Amino acid sequence: MTYRETNISVSLASSLLVMGYYLINWLPMYQDEGLNSAVIFRLWVITIVATIILNILGNILTSIVLSIAHAIKTQSDVEPRFVEDERDKLIELKGSKAAYIAFSIGVFLSMLSFAFGQPPLLMFSLIIFFSIAAEITSDVLQLIYYRRGV
Amino acid sequence: MEKYRVQNNIRKLRFYHGEMTQEALAEKAGVTRQTIIAIEGGKYAPSLELAFRIALAFGVPLEEVFSYTAEEESG
Repeated sequence: MTYRETNISVSLASSLLVMGYYLINWLPMYQDEGLNSAVIFRLWVITIVATIILNILGNILTSIVLSIAHAIKTQSDVEPRFVEDERDKLIELKGSKAAYIAFSIGVFLSMLSFAFGQPPLLMFSLIIFFSIAAEITSDVLQLIYYRRGV
Repeated sequence: MEKYRVQNNIRKLRFYHGEMTQEALAEKAGVTRQTIIAIEGGKYAPSLELAFRIALAFGVPLEEVFSYTAEEESG
């Protein structure tokens, strides 16, 4: 697995973790007592902050682990070159496009829920859900492109 | 309409250049080894610039490395 693939896999794992946390907390709240603004705002903040922190930590840890693995493999202290070439950029671009489309559809569906009389809190909850789902879509698609070819 | 695809002779050229490694070719072309593997396996069609850089690495004209040929019909 290359540096980029490892990075994407870590990002995918962290997004799935955040998505799991979000759904586990959000679904019972929605089904049982309805959406309470004080509690839901807290959940949104935790979700967004956790996404940012996990992504940064994931990137740092991946770089450290891969650098150590490279040093052990080559028996030298020369830093590995994590080059990003045109294929990486193309795959990243395609992933971003997929994320953009997924998020746009998500925002549209969220607004539809509001148009059909659902509370605004549900709309914003859905937008956050679809933003994480878009990130997951992008990561999965990028991994597929790396495996099957562009 | 007939389907065309980019094919390459990278494996053969590497052999003729003293079994040049994919890593060495990647270094000369300024890309990662994974990209060379993908191009060699027909999973990625490089940009024109990269195609020229690969040809330059072997010291041969572009058409000796890449060709644009019709896909064979199966069945």
